[in-house]
Amino acid sequence: MSNRTYLAVCLAVTVLVAGSILFVPGLSEAIEQNLLIFLSTNAS
Amino acid sequence: MLRLILQLIGIAVLIPVVAYVTLRMENRNADGPSIVFPGGELVSGELYTGPEPDWGFTRDIQLVELELTNPAPPSSRLIFILESEGKLYVVSGYMGTTLGRIWKHWAVDADEGDGMAVVRIDGVRYERQIVRIREGEALDGVTAALREKYGGNSSRESVESGNLWVFELAPRGMNV
Repeated sequence: MSNRTYLAVCLAVTVLVAGSILFVPGLSEAIEQNLLIFLSTNAS
Repeated sequence: MLRLILQLIGIAVLIPVVAYVTLRMENRNADGPSIVFPGGELVSGELYTGPEPDWGFTRDIQLVELELTNPAPPSSRLIFILESEGKLYVVSGYMGTTLGRIWKHWAVDADEGDGMAVVRIDGVRYERQIVRIREGEALDGVTAALREKYGGNSSRESVESGNLWVFELAPRGMNV
């Protein structure tokens, strides 16, 4: 990928991920729940 | 080929970073913290007015929501709660390390700020003044309550050495 294409892909990924978290109902809670499970499993 | 691999690694790193930043920003103005991320000003819930409550009921409560109003904007987080000799306390561990101070930056804010705090317990908001307790016999009771309720091996010495920070949630306007 050229630098220009790569930056466009990064921008698209950023918009897609942020938009999904903000606007897909329940997604942020699901991610947070999984993050919590990961942290409680791997911490200490 | 190496360039493409590095670009794919960059995208793979970008996704969780964007997710983390988005979730944190999303929670920043929420009415209270989530389990993982700090929230904003505590808005909902009855604002308690009246005589100093009997805080004994907090012995059965594991986590409360604590809001600090300074520095602005207000931020809130979930935190352990302790009661000792009729007074209410919160603690912050790992404060003897740089990483701990970054991780538990709320405690630094509480220590350096104006002390205005709101704690929401079972949906009721209590306006308090957060005051750091650095030494004294009260710490024996607080650390005993901490060990009994949450485990660990905290002691008065760990507070006085600066590794564990203890704050009293005192009534506003009181000089502790």
